[in-house]
Amino acid sequence: MKHRFSIASGLLTLIVLTMLPGKAVAQQPLRWGADPSGGAPYVYNDPSHPDQYIGYEKEMVDALAAAMGRKAEFVPSDWETLVSALQRKSFDVIVNGLEPTADRQKQIQFSKPYYIFQLALTVRNDEQQIHSLADCKNRVVGTLGNTAASRLLQKENIPSKSYAEPLTAYRDLELKRIDAVIMDVPAEVFYVSKSTTLKRACEPFFRGTYNVGLRKGDDALKAEVDAAIDKIISDGTLEKILRKWGLWNDAQIELQKPKPGEKNVEVGYDITSASFNWREAIWRLTRAAFVTVLIAFGSMFIALVLGMPLAIGQWKGPRLIQWLCTIYVEFFRGTPVLVQLLFLYFGLPTIGLAMPAWLTALIGLGLNYAAYESQVYRAALEAIPRGQWEASYLLGMSPVLAFRRIILPQAFRIALPPMTNDFVSLFKDTSTAYAISVWELATAYRELANASGQFLLLGVAVSLYYLAMSLPMAHLARRLERKLQRREAIEAVESEVV
Amino acid sequence: MIRVTDLIKNANGTRILRGVSFEVAPQTVLGIIGASGSGKTTLLRCLNGLERIDGGAIEFDSIRLEPSLSAAEYSRRVKDLRKKVGTVFQHLYLFPHLSVVGNIIEAPTHVLHVPKKQAEVEAVALLESVGLKEKARRYPETLSGGEQQRVAIARALAMHPALLMFDEPTSALDPKRSAGLRSLLRGFIHRGHTMVIVSHSIGFLEGLADQLLYIEGGEVVESGAAEQILNSPRDPRTKDFIEQAK
Repeated sequence: MKHRFSIASGLLTLIVLTMLPGKAVAQQPLRWGADPSGGAPYVYNDPSHPDQYIGYEKEMVDALAAAMGRKAEFVPSDWETLVSALQRKSFDVIVNGLEPTADRQKQIQFSKPYYIFQLALTVRNDEQQIHSLADCKNRVVGTLGNTAASRLLQKENIPSKSYAEPLTAYRDLELKRIDAVIMDVPAEVFYVSKSTTLKRACEPFFRGTYNVGLRKGDDALKAEVDAAIDKIISDGTLEKILRKWGLWNDAQIELQKPKPGEKNVEVGYDITSASFNWREAIWRLTRAAFVTVLIAFGSMFIALVLGMPLAIGQWKGPRLIQWLCTIYVEFFRGTPVLVQLLFLYFGLPTIGLAMPAWLTALIGLGLNYAAYESQVYRAALEAIPRGQWEASYLLGMSPVLAFRRIILPQAFRIALPPMTNDFVSLFKDTSTAYAISVWELATAYRELANASGQFLLLGVAVSLYYLAMSLPMAHLARRLERKLQRREAIEAVESEVV
Repeated sequence: MIRVTDLIKNANGTRILRGVSFEVAPQTVLGIIGASGSGKTTLLRCLNGLERIDGGAIEFDSIRLEPSLSAAEYSRRVKDLRKKVGTVFQHLYLFPHLSVVGNIIEAPTHVLHVPKKQAEVEAVALLESVGLKEKARRYPETLSGGEQQRVAIARALAMHPALLMFDEPTSALDPKRSAGLRSLLRGFIHRGHTMVIVSHSIGFLEGLADQLLYIEGGEVVESGAAEQILNSPRDPRTKDFIEQAK
């Protein structure tokens, strides 16, 4: 009996043992979303194996998944849209240094914390005046959009500039485009510890946690994840990973030893919760609209002025000039304006030419549109019959006089409609300035909407701003066109009546 | 006043003018007749410097154009020449963005630097002489073809040219308007103008031209007093052309 039982139990053990791995394989993979672009040290492309992802959170999720008996599957995503992507079921959990905030809590739920982070304020080595966040009241502080740091700046009323990636923020700090950068310590450790030009302004401050984000209602998964977090904390796996990445500090011990009777470490949500303030949002949109107008008008001015010598050079210039103008035009028309802006913003500083972002956008778009305007001009100039030139010459005019008084005014009429068209599309192309962190309307929309979830209402507001700017423009252009033609039209009618 | 000797003009490897010679005396009218493609218009374009000549010479008073001149010297002389020559194209080429008065005062004010007020007074006087005074503020495209032509004439006259040249002036006119233009031009003779008129309309030139030049294939077939050529052409080709034109 005893013998039989042991055989039976042995059989049972065998069955369970053979089933266990089978069960684990049958388990669905743990699909996790994070933004790997500029995502070091959380998760990012391995520089030596660009087809692979590395990072402390990558290692942590692998450990979590192992603890859950699942396989981790990484779904690269975009930071600003992580929450909505989770809700769309693009993946099952967010693991991206995500802080629990009141507004996020409305949309998703959070696991227990796995990391306690602080914020680090970074300045240039030669900075004498900034020793705390309070010293930044009249300075510009860079940070990532829609993070605990950005909300802190907003709350403290500190002028801020928001970036999509830590690297570009620190680069701008080095180039003196901003005065300080505030960032979560993990990112700061990764980017600044090796820097010879930047230093910490003060000891890290603030306290927040990183939690795993889950869909509301996925309670079974939440329980699984919480258990896995407990496991990798208590068995030292997480500490090993954090130490490896230089992110371990004493604050983390708090997570290891939960106070008796308290399962979770409670996190103060209130500091980082962004309460959405419509009045403030409209004010920020208005400021963004001014930037948009400034860039659009400034770059159109450059385009209109620079387009003319380009057109004439390509049209009537000596062979060499024709060549150079053609190369210019084809270069600017043949490469994306986005790439041109990035080149101007990040490429030019390497030869010592660092311009502020708005000026870079203004000049970049101006240079780009000059190529288009030159073609509009050239087509219009070529459309003027040769007889107009000859008639001018026979009346004793010089080529310059004939061009200025006879050809140009006629060409202008032909060019006006396509020029108006280009201006309207330039207005919309100002949104590419987002790439170099210019706070114009499209950037403002993206950030405010992501922070608040008010995609629809803010979208309507932003569209109204764009229309309020482009409609008067179109109206003005139409009036100008009509003014140029009205005289003749009225007189044509008169002559028919007579 | 004008002496053209052995004028040669090539274009795209073809010889358009093959040694054309003639003279125009002051205050006379030369009519140049010939079929389409005979080289009439090219001859006119050589006379006002729009085409550079490849052989022979053009002399206008003291200005002499010849192919041996450097490009800079040639265009300098052409510039001098154009001060004395006014041209009315077949297609007119009025400036569409300027009013009738604007068309007329453009060159006087910007080339001769005549004060605008004075130029306008002169322009209105010129318009009166071509019968268009009341259309001074109109724009060219609102005028009829005949009116546009008279604006072009007034525009040329505003530069006070000694010689007026016309290319096919009757091509866009009905017979009644042709007659009107002829009497207008006849008035110019009395005011001391010299004219060269290229036309294929024999009827228009009859009683207007003093001398006639018949061109065929880039060569002068016959030239002489208008009356003689119209009534008793010596060359059979001239005779054919005149009979067909009538």
